[in-house]
Amino acid sequence: MLMYLSKRILGAIPVLIVVAAVVFTLMQFAPGDAVNMLVSDEASEADKAAIREAWGLDRPPLVQFLSFLGNAATGDFGMSFKYKVPVLELVLEKLPATIELALASTLVAVLIGIPLGVLAGARPGTVWDSIASAFSFAGISMPNFWLGILLILLVAGQWHLLPSGGREPWGLNLPTITGFNLVDSVLQGRWDAFVSALKYLALPSIVMGTNMMGIIAQMTRASVQEALQEDYVVTARAKGLSGSRVLWRHAFRNALIGVVTIIGLEFGALLSGAMIVETVFAWPGIGNLLIQGIASRDFPLIIGLVLVYTGLFIIVNLLIDILYTIIDPRIRVN
Amino acid sequence: MTSKLHMILATTAIAAASTAASAEEFTDKRVAVAITETISGYNPYADPVVLLGSVWCQVYGCITRYDWEAGEFVPFLAESVETLDELTWEIKLPEGLTRHNGEPVLAADVVHSIEYLGTNPGSGKSYLVAGWESVEAIDDRTVHITTATPDATLRDNLAGVAVTSKALFDELGDGMFREAPFGAGPYMLSDISIGEHMIIERNDDHPMIRAQNPQQIMFRIMPEPEQRVTALANSEVQIAQLVPPQLRPRVESLPNARLETTNSVEMMFLGMSPKTHPWDVKEARQAVAHAINREAIVAAVLQGQAKLLNGPVSEGQLGYNPAFKSPYDYNPERARALLASAGLEGVEVTLSTPVGRYTADRQIAEAMVPMLEDAGFSVSLDTPEWATLWANVQQGNVPFYYMGRGSMIDPSRALHQYFATGGSPRLGFSNAELDALLAAERAEFDPAGRSTKMQEAVVKLVDEAPAAFMWQHEMAWGVANGVTFNPHPADQVNGWEILVE
Amino acid sequence: MHTQSSTAAHPGRWARLRKSYRQMTGFKALFGLGMVALLLIMSILSPFLAPHAPNTQDLMSAMRPPDWVGPHVLGTDHLGRDILSRIIYGSRVSLLIAVAVAVFASLLGVFLGVVGGYFGGRIDDAVQKVTEIFWSFPPLMLAIAIVAFVGQGLLIVVIALTAQRWIPYCRVTRAETMALRDREFILAARSLGASSWFVILHHILPNVTLSIIVMTSFAMANAIIAEASLSFLGLGVPPHITTWGGMLSDSRAYISSAWWMALFPGLAIFLTVLGLNLLGDALRNQFDPKLKSH
Repeated sequence: MLMYLSKRILGAIPVLIVVAAVVFTLMQFAPGDAVNMLVSDEASEADKAAIREAWGLDRPPLVQFLSFLGNAATGDFGMSFKYKVPVLELVLEKLPATIELALASTLVAVLIGIPLGVLAGARPGTVWDSIASAFSFAGISMPNFWLGILLILLVAGQWHLLPSGGREPWGLNLPTITGFNLVDSVLQGRWDAFVSALKYLALPSIVMGTNMMGIIAQMTRASVQEALQEDYVVTARAKGLSGSRVLWRHAFRNALIGVVTIIGLEFGALLSGAMIVETVFAWPGIGNLLIQGIASRDFPLIIGLVLVYTGLFIIVNLLIDILYTIIDPRIRVN
Repeated sequence: MTSKLHMILATTAIAAASTAASAEEFTDKRVAVAITETISGYNPYADPVVLLGSVWCQVYGCITRYDWEAGEFVPFLAESVETLDELTWEIKLPEGLTRHNGEPVLAADVVHSIEYLGTNPGSGKSYLVAGWESVEAIDDRTVHITTATPDATLRDNLAGVAVTSKALFDELGDGMFREAPFGAGPYMLSDISIGEHMIIERNDDHPMIRAQNPQQIMFRIMPEPEQRVTALANSEVQIAQLVPPQLRPRVESLPNARLETTNSVEMMFLGMSPKTHPWDVKEARQAVAHAINREAIVAAVLQGQAKLLNGPVSEGQLGYNPAFKSPYDYNPERARALLASAGLEGVEVTLSTPVGRYTADRQIAEAMVPMLEDAGFSVSLDTPEWATLWANVQQGNVPFYYMGRGSMIDPSRALHQYFATGGSPRLGFSNAELDALLAAERAEFDPAGRSTKMQEAVVKLVDEAPAAFMWQHEMAWGVANGVTFNPHPADQVNGWEILVE
Repeated sequence: MHTQSSTAAHPGRWARLRKSYRQMTGFKALFGLGMVALLLIMSILSPFLAPHAPNTQDLMSAMRPPDWVGPHVLGTDHLGRDILSRIIYGSRVSLLIAVAVAVFASLLGVFLGVVGGYFGGRIDDAVQKVTEIFWSFPPLMLAIAIVAFVGQGLLIVVIALTAQRWIPYCRVTRAETMALRDREFILAARSLGASSWFVILHHILPNVTLSIIVMTSFAMANAIIAEASLSFLGLGVPPHITTWGGMLSDSRAYISSAWWMALFPGLAIFLTVLGLNLLGDALRNQFDPKLKSH
């Protein structure tokens, strides 16, 4: 296991370097750099040249890239041009918000998707199946920014039920321990903060989880249906075991592996979704930060965020592989 | 990351409270302001955004500020700013001026701040102090600035100079902006969360502070207009910047808030670079000015919320002449005739516009396309991402664009930048006569005389038409009931001007 | 006893199950085909179907609400352009981008997948490595980076969306090719002296076609949403080209004052993508029930 883990983690390093190289190359195409974006309207060309030199932007691209790699190896990802703070610090500060949102979205997707899929799969051909299927296909096909806009308009704008955006109200004064608002409020016994965190999470996580919900529902439906056709399930039912017990015991476990796979496969999509959903809901996560970083050509920040995104994606896939072995002991790693 | 800052501020707050407690009953109400722009960190010199510049002036104190009632620049942190001769200015600091941590504000701090602005790569506003030959501290309270050429706009520039501590900088370097953000302004920095918000807290000892000024002000970044208005409706914020025309009815119908409007001093214009064809032909540029039906655009797209310009400036700005009317009315026949007289019918042009930068920018440009085609141009519309467009404009690579230019209370800097020979590559316009008029204006210290000279420059500029001047947007802010806030033509939110019940 | 009764009950239940399954598949296929047909008709016949030209402005009748009997059935946008006409013309770009992405992605993905799967060894390793790297980018992030840094335009959007869309094609065809490689008929063809490319063209490709068709339906659905997302972020095609995503992006500023500007283009995207997804699902059930994901 340890061998396997270290091999996987070491294997990720060249991937990360290539990813950085791809993004770095793309950035060279960009007309306009951070100096144009961040320095005043009225700065002279000489002033700008001086800043370019200070930021190292006057060096040949290859030198810039290699020096970035060298520094990154020591954990130094440079300073954000725009915010003038270390990229690593900024990213770590914003990362919990995104992870919290991604986990909440996954939870929404699982909690709605699995029952929906079981409902459909257990009674194929019924009205329930049709309704559940319609729901899941709608979930898959829904453009998430559109759903986000409609929900903000209705739930926050018309009905005033939930906040329109952001992550916490002003004056909550919840000291940061882990950076996850839900966890921090529990650790400090702050139920008001917990409820507020849930309120702010509700809309974005529903919007972000909708696509995954649809996919999970379909996957579950297929697995349950498949399982119900297996000989041993048919036999178990014939032996008089109650329908729901068979369903949960056998069919469900079968479906779970599929669900775990889907989570792994779709997590990347979820993170990309975060870029849009965080923009729509002003969620202070790394997705929002990346869109802003791209707009201001904040190169160190962009590269840092892309690497974090990619690293996160790789880690989740690794976790999924390990989770397999727990759900289904027949599967061995490697 | 903010905990250290909190601790320092907590101690200073206690110190401040103990001295002021007996004075009068300060309100403990707070105000949240939804703003459109991002906050670029802790460095007060890094951010060229106007609104944030005004926030930093409240924290650190800037040397001068614009007094909207008096209509002129007045001392803010300084006691006085006077000219000694054409090239020399004297700044006097008040006696016993201290920072939030009790340390005195010295002339050396002013010199240090100007040096930082001018030469430190962390500065994004070095233009403010460009052309200053020397800056020296005469004694602890006196600074002399010598300029290379006579410059009547110096007080305007000093309004952008936040004064930070030399001693703290020597000790902590740039780290001081985060770890020891002690200024001498009416508000103190309380918290910054990058990309999210910035909170300032009232400095009860400051002479400009009144009891009804909010105890804390939070500036929250909300780029989407819908978001700002919804947050205002939900009482998540009390002041919302830039309510676009189509959302005004919604704000007006809110039970808990209202609209406050003001003119803007930002000129919106169509820039035409004479370095490129067909804009090297004066008739083509004038044809554009005649072709745009500004009245229709303001009525339909902006729902009447803009004021048409006769030149780069309007009432209340230097160089405005009420008697001067723009010669360019909406006249498609005249536009066609002008274009035909230069033999340019059907000439292909590309109109570039930013998207979401200015009120209804893209929509306005889209509406201009058929009007220009009607005049005989063959137009394609280009909507590059802002970063791309801005870089290209600054390098002079965009022949024809819709753009705005703010910070024009005193239009001198902007007009030099866009229209004087060598001012910037943005338009690459060059006209010896206009250059002479602009230089004369800048060297004139008498305000009335300067205004007359500026007016002459404006007439020449409008005739040459390197830009077709469109309008100034009427800016609307959403303000919650119970809060008094009267917006200024520039994007400033000054805590001492906000009153809460 | 037990066994008997269960086998007796079996055929009835199976028949019922299969029937309902067929009905459902039938409905999905019908709906999907219907939407695709509608998309095709709209985009090919747009000049005849649209009541107005998509870019004709009428500032005096801007932001008119839907009017079922009036000149603007689905209302007008902020520049007085007819929304129905813009949706009809917008179908062209959606279709064009969806088809172009599907074609480029399938060409690239199938080529790499078949070559890697057939030849194996170092070639396969190389293909696998490239796949792994492109797969490491969260979807859309690469597209956003390409469009933001390289520039706007139809072709760039297509390239940006193709950059990762080829991967599912590559994975599936590679797996299928590897399974086919050692089958008797392929071995026979090879022993008769057929060249590798001949085998690939005449024996492997025909056998992976069905999977390609199924995946194409999903790829098109995905491309339509992705294009709309890019347009929404202001990174799509230039504005003189009418697109659904661009319309939605415009509508953002007017959502509480003109809900129809957001509702109808969003609905058009949603229904088209729904149709393609249902069609893909029906095709998958029909041809290749084993093909699960992608």
